[in-house]
Amino acid sequence: MNDVLLEGREIVKVFPGVRALDGVGLRLTAGSVHALLGENGAGKSTLIKVLTGVHAPDGGRLTWRGEEVRLRSPLEATRTGIGVVHQERNLIPDFSVAENITLQSPPARRGFVDRGAMSAPALRCLAELDLDLDPLRPVRELSVAQQQLVEIAKALYTESRVLLLDEPTASLSPREADRLFGVVRRLTARGTCVVFVSHKLEEVFALCDTVTVLRDGRSVLESSPLAGHTHDDIVNLMVGRAHTATEMPPRAPDRTAAPVLALDGVSTADGHQDVSLEVRPGEIVGLYGLVGAGRSELVKAVLGLDRITAGEVRMHGTPVRIASPRQALHDFGIGYLTENRKEEGVFLEQPIHRNITVTVWKKLAKALGYVPAAEERQAAQDLVDRLGIRISGLEQNAGELSGGNQQKVSMAKWLAADTRLLIVDEPTVGVDVRTKHAFHRLLWELAGEGLPILLISSDLTEMITLADRVLVMADHRIRGEVDNDGDYERMSGRIIRIIHDRALPAVTTEREAE
Amino acid sequence: MRTPVTAPEHVAGEAAGAQRPPRRLPFWVDQRLGLLVLTVALAALFGVLRPAFLDQRLVLFPLLREISTLTVVALAQLAVLSVGHMNLAVGRMAAFGALFAGLGYDRLHLPLQLGLLVCLFAGAVIGGLTGWIIARTGVSSFVVTLAMDFALMGLVSLLYSALTENAAFTTRPSGLLDLRSASLADICVGRVCGSPAVPQMAQFTVLALVGLGFLYTRTRMGRELLLTGANPKAAELSGIPTGRRVILAHSLSGLLAALAGFMAAVSTGTFRASIGDDFMLPSFLGAVLGGTLLTGGVVCVVGALLGTSLVAVIRKGLDLLGVGLESLNIYLGCVLLLALSADRVRAVVSYRKVVRST
Repeated sequence: MNDVLLEGREIVKVFPGVRALDGVGLRLTAGSVHALLGENGAGKSTLIKVLTGVHAPDGGRLTWRGEEVRLRSPLEATRTGIGVVHQERNLIPDFSVAENITLQSPPARRGFVDRGAMSAPALRCLAELDLDLDPLRPVRELSVAQQQLVEIAKALYTESRVLLLDEPTASLSPREADRLFGVVRRLTARGTCVVFVSHKLEEVFALCDTVTVLRDGRSVLESSPLAGHTHDDIVNLMVGRAHTATEMPPRAPDRTAAPVLALDGVSTADGHQDVSLEVRPGEIVGLYGLVGAGRSELVKAVLGLDRITAGEVRMHGTPVRIASPRQALHDFGIGYLTENRKEEGVFLEQPIHRNITVTVWKKLAKALGYVPAAEERQAAQDLVDRLGIRISGLEQNAGELSGGNQQKVSMAKWLAADTRLLIVDEPTVGVDVRTKHAFHRLLWELAGEGLPILLISSDLTEMITLADRVLVMADHRIRGEVDNDGDYERMSGRIIRIIHDRALPAVTTEREAE
Repeated sequence: MRTPVTAPEHVAGEAAGAQRPPRRLPFWVDQRLGLLVLTVALAALFGVLRPAFLDQRLVLFPLLREISTLTVVALAQLAVLSVGHMNLAVGRMAAFGALFAGLGYDRLHLPLQLGLLVCLFAGAVIGGLTGWIIARTGVSSFVVTLAMDFALMGLVSLLYSALTENAAFTTRPSGLLDLRSASLADICVGRVCGSPAVPQMAQFTVLALVGLGFLYTRTRMGRELLLTGANPKAAELSGIPTGRRVILAHSLSGLLAALAGFMAAVSTGTFRASIGDDFMLPSFLGAVLGGTLLTGGVVCVVGALLGTSLVAVIRKGLDLLGVGLESLNIYLGCVLLLALSADRVRAVVSYRKVVRST
């Protein structure tokens, strides 16, 4: 079965300030499972959106069975035979299973939707998935896994020859995932091509035949047979580890100094139990864990955005109750670089100087709240220079910058405020390699100057590059602590083992790969 | 008075200098300039077609008085638009404020200025209450102000019928009638007198424009209001007390609405429940035409004056030309649509430019 269904060459997609796809190639053959891998921000989702007609590519060509196609809308993609199950659910909760499955071309009689005729095709699709569901049940009553399968049934109904699954197992239990893999195998046996996007390399190796790896919007490995590669090969291709290893000058934080921030037996309304940690001056403390381990939530509770139900938070040894991020900033000098840059970090539609000086207006303000424009601009310009933010002018809107530069702007805000404790949450997600380096060096230097830093990251390489010690979090608890000796293999092994003790094996190995 | 939020055209162009070609649009696309030119041109056109249009006392004076009032109304809307909210109760808040002024004059025999202060205070309080409900419950401002509109509509009518015999306060404190008809012609320096076309009431509008302009361009509060509107989550995490800013924006809106109510009452000479009935649409029209975004984060204070002026000039001019009320509204609708699409066109053009340069 060497029948090429969909092929893309040199695909380019540009968003303001960033080339999300920059020459991506992909060849999908009938009857195979194709893995699409890459770090966050590498361009996987954008590629899927281009392949399914959501975004029009700005360059390159797509061919369907050898003929060039232009997909102007998701509907056209569906008609061509390309189905997709997005990461987030796209079902209508109040519609029945049958209505959802047949949504894209409901059986009609004289222009009216024929509800009676819906059940039969819906049942047929469900049967193919070996799924026993009442087609008349509203979708909202189904479990997440069932909803996912209904989405696949929806793709079957439109007779998709290419089916794209974007992180299908993210919210499934191992058993449900196994069942999904069975379905995938059955589909490929019938000559469908399934594109499988996942962060879990374990699954990828168990299921896929060919692989495409994206990094920074380029395909660094194109439709290559997976059998010829090892776990490590793939990881190296994904992260470009040769690039990520940064030489840093030595730095020896004083382990005996009094901690700036200390949590003692903290429990929160979000479900954290008995969390204790300390951050000392000049120390980078890593907080590692899987997505959903509750790391960002812990920080938000400390900042007063969620309730702390038990335990004590101490700043410089004094027990404190922080009511809001405002108090955290102005009274305690805590800066929090959020992981969610676009929604919580920068003001996209506002000029850069405002984005940076928002934290210092209080300091700059004179009588009547008057903020002298010159001082404001100077403060912003200093940071732009210091961080090397590439802009065309301070009046430029932050939304026009690339992801990395936006992240720098988001960071500049906290440096402007002279924070005395910095909490950075996934600082380099979705930024290019060069900016990543710059960030690592910046954090390193800040710590060298004595700033205590709490680093949250799912990027193990980053952890090992930066952190002095790594706290491992799982299920809203601290599971253990590892002193960083800088050796990737040894460190990853230890960290994984700590998570391993609690979490499911299938989940941990996948992290190791990352 | 345009805030620097969206006035980066020239500056950015120069700063870009050597590194990148300026990506901003040329100045002639500037919305405010367009409005000004359009308004003046239309006024001139109407003046030529109907010389009566330029009659200072009979046409321009009432026209400017109306513009003065409606500009304040537009500013009341602008204040809440800056935090990304809207105030559907501007008219009713105007009536509410005017009620207190009327009550003060009628029962307490307050002097003119004190009555105005009471009126402004009442407006700020009711606006602040609205803002507090929104900030506290997290219900959208649309719903809350809509409910507030209904509640005040009932309350104000009820109070008028309970407190007065014919549903209006007619007691006029000394100075009110003067304020109503005084123009710059009454103010003379030596032998040089002002134009009889400019009503004295315009002082309130100028004051409001200067005040808001200062607030939004120069102060910390103004910036924080705008950032709250641009992205409430990021604002909260950046240490801005977003809840308090929302309350501030709404009480400012209430205060300005009450001011407009007072001005409207002075114009007609009576304080009655129907004041502000026709405020809501012009409030959005003026603010949005002037370049204030409905989504928050970008305001243009002077634009509110320009937008309101354009609408008022078109209305008056077409009226003098004998165009009926119905067709007049069609023209107004078209103008609004054009102005708003112009903004969208600008956005698309600049997006394309940015994409191309990436």
